[in-house]
Amino acid sequence: MSNNRGVLKFIARRLALGVLTLFVVSVVVFTATQLLPSDPAQAILGRNATTASVSALRAKLGLEHSAFYQYTHWLKGMVTGDPGDSFNARVPILDYIGDRVVNSLFLLVLASVISIPVALWFGGYGARKRDTTFDNVSSNVMLALASLPEFVVGIIFVLLFSVRVWHLLPAVSSIGIGKGPWSDMKGMVLPTATLVIGAVPYISRVVRASMIEVMESDYVEMARLKGAPEKVVLWRHALPNALGPVFQVIALNIAYFAAGVIVVEALFNYPGIGGALRDSVRVRDIPVIQFLVMVLAAVYVVTNLAADVATVLVTPRLRTRIQ
Amino acid sequence: MAFDPVHGLIPGRFNRRQLILGSSTAAAIAAALAACGSDSKTATPAASGAPSPTDAPTGTAAPTGTAAPIGTAAAGTPKAGGILRVGTLGGANDIIDGQHIVSKADIIRQVTGWEPLMSFSPDFVPEYTNGLAKDVTAKAADDFIVTLKDGIKFSDGKPVTADDVVYSFTRMLDKDKALYGGSVLRSVLDVSGISKIDDQTVELKLKQGVSNFKEALCAYVCAIVPTGYERFAGDPATQVGTGPYMLKEFEIGKQSVHVKNPNYWDTGKPFFDEVHIIDFVDADALINALLADQIDVAGDIPSASVETVQGTDGYKVLNSAGGGWLTISMAVDQDPFTDVRVRQAMRLIVDRDAMVEQVLAGFGRVANDLYAPLDAAYASELPQRKQDLEQAKKLLADAGKSGLTIDLFAPNDTAGLPEMVQLFAEQAKGAGITVNAQVIDGGTYWGDEYLKRTFAVDYWGTRNFLLQVAAGSLKDVSPYPDDHWPPAGSTFEDDYKAALAETDDTKRKVITDKMQQELYDTGGLIIPFFQNLLDAYNTRVQGLVERANTLNLDHYGRGWKNLSFSE
Repeated sequence: MSNNRGVLKFIARRLALGVLTLFVVSVVVFTATQLLPSDPAQAILGRNATTASVSALRAKLGLEHSAFYQYTHWLKGMVTGDPGDSFNARVPILDYIGDRVVNSLFLLVLASVISIPVALWFGGYGARKRDTTFDNVSSNVMLALASLPEFVVGIIFVLLFSVRVWHLLPAVSSIGIGKGPWSDMKGMVLPTATLVIGAVPYISRVVRASMIEVMESDYVEMARLKGAPEKVVLWRHALPNALGPVFQVIALNIAYFAAGVIVVEALFNYPGIGGALRDSVRVRDIPVIQFLVMVLAAVYVVTNLAADVATVLVTPRLRTRIQ
Repeated sequence: MAFDPVHGLIPGRFNRRQLILGSSTAAAIAAALAACGSDSKTATPAASGAPSPTDAPTGTAAPTGTAAPIGTAAAGTPKAGGILRVGTLGGANDIIDGQHIVSKADIIRQVTGWEPLMSFSPDFVPEYTNGLAKDVTAKAADDFIVTLKDGIKFSDGKPVTADDVVYSFTRMLDKDKALYGGSVLRSVLDVSGISKIDDQTVELKLKQGVSNFKEALCAYVCAIVPTGYERFAGDPATQVGTGPYMLKEFEIGKQSVHVKNPNYWDTGKPFFDEVHIIDFVDADALINALLADQIDVAGDIPSASVETVQGTDGYKVLNSAGGGWLTISMAVDQDPFTDVRVRQAMRLIVDRDAMVEQVLAGFGRVANDLYAPLDAAYASELPQRKQDLEQAKKLLADAGKSGLTIDLFAPNDTAGLPEMVQLFAEQAKGAGITVNAQVIDGGTYWGDEYLKRTFAVDYWGTRNFLLQVAAGSLKDVSPYPDDHWPPAGSTFEDDYKAALAETDDTKRKVITDKMQQELYDTGGLIIPFFQNLLDAYNTRVQGLVERANTLNLDHYGRGWKNLSFSE
């Protein structure tokens, strides 16, 4: 009972910290976007701006209010689920890029759901078969893959599977008008694979190292001595204790996906937040920039929070400490 | 590398400099992979420069799956049917308006659905072939009678009448709407000057004599829309025009679907059942989509991808001479450029061949500090100016400006401009002066200081000579007077007015020759080159002709009506 209370208190504290982090991020994001060179009204009107049209647009966009007023107004909107209108499209942000956020999240989830089990298997199996040919080869291949930026991996995939060697898969995603990305699963293969290739090496290397450390510990020795089969030792005794660092690296990787999708989306013309972010920076569509950066920050905070909580829950040592 | 013929595109809608940098990486990797000989198709080196004259695909290896290759894209009997998939750079800022464009993608959608009264012939002389007028007669230099072709209908089946023409011109003259289609008209025509004579005829009384008024009627955005027409705001059914295709669906930043206009007036055309215009944010993805057979034509490709396309069987590059140009402008009313010798020295500093090679990757032609190369009245007989550093040094010394130090500004959001100023700064060292290339944020560049700086840059599309003069070379009336031309004491503005009032082509050429001579001798613009238009297409698409043009993809196949799939 007291154990549960301790865990709940811990979660509550981490949640509060997460909210505080997001608040700080919001101040930084708001300040930074305010500091972007050039006036958004000017940027929207571009080369054709006249003094009159710029000042009219500034008034329309609420740019003549004080920075503090703009910030509090914006924060209130973000919290209440109304992040405001896009400067450029003059429509509510959620109508404007809601679909794109969903598309990016779908890609992120798909990449995570595939890469995490694959990485766990490679890492766990590598630890068990330590210093065998399998382990050596897979470690080196993973290291090589980890050193490639995802746009290189993506381009190689496109050349291999779409445009040069084989013509098996589409080079760009082609999601029809008003349809979700799940309507074009064939087009999801290469973007997802590119992200998976970027993530699996990191996660599996941490799994492997963590597992090796645990496998050499006293309690695993004990389990072996009492005659448990190696499989049971590995998956029941060793893995849960090795998961702490693994959760951390998975969280980092999901956060990395959130940024990585921007590159991958451009490469595969995937209609996600990457393109929207690019467009909005270009025309100084500040509300959209702020919204997207906050979404990315929230993904980061939430995954790290989840990883921390999960780590505590699976690791007996930590669980007992917070009582 | 081509820019749009309508001056006033909002720069930076797509940051093509970054895209091009990205593409060169892709092209390098593609070339490397090709060099590995991983595939028999790449036996033709991807690095071969010129387009192969015998480009007949091998048939077996054609990744397109088309079995009937053709030698030239213009050959073959047009076959009706199919869906043409067009790829273009575009984004969340795309609009659809029959008389307005903001980005390149907007131009494509405009040309697909709407048509002007007249059009340019391949020699850039106004004609009626692709226009809605059967005749435009000048009663006087300031009074034009427009007669519509018979039996032309809008895509909704209603006939095009004089009322629609009146509405179209009235809409373009609306200052608040600031439509590009009206950018020339607004300075020469008032709403009171538009009058309907009968159902097929409209009279346009101009504020002054405008001998080249027909050229203004040829602008693709100076198009006819039905009475009551407004910009796309969610309902495709509102987008009625006379063009070959009509809008069926549009998701901004993603894709638009256009279907055959059942009432199209040009008999037998168009050929495709549908045209899909697909937006890309990245030029690499655009080229990959073409080579993976996900699109059929790619408009406006980066020069870095030309070799990749040419090295792949079944695909071709359309390399058309365009009339677009970049300029380094010297404000002739600001020190040190008030002294004509300093301006002349700056023009002699430029190594134009190096500019074409390094800024345009070779896809352009050397220019002579004069604009409007496609105009029949272009002063092509003036000697080609070449780099002459000794003469430049002498002129600078005479002007007391040896060892001059000056800032040259460029925006970071328009491909070619940063490269051009950096190269110019290098070349200027040869004349013993220091030019500081200041590449600044685009939003700042096009802001308050734009058109006020002493030494700066700009980009322009194609216009005929007198239209270009009106747009940029008359400091008191032009919307974009880059070099603050003309200087005090010049007769240039009077000559311009005389040329506008002169309806006799030969006599007008005498005047425009004099004006061009003045610009050539003492002007404030450095025009190092004209840009080519670069596109790529699957060879199953036929009808594209490589010729001098104002718009990409052979004027987008005039709204795709000239293109079809080979059998």
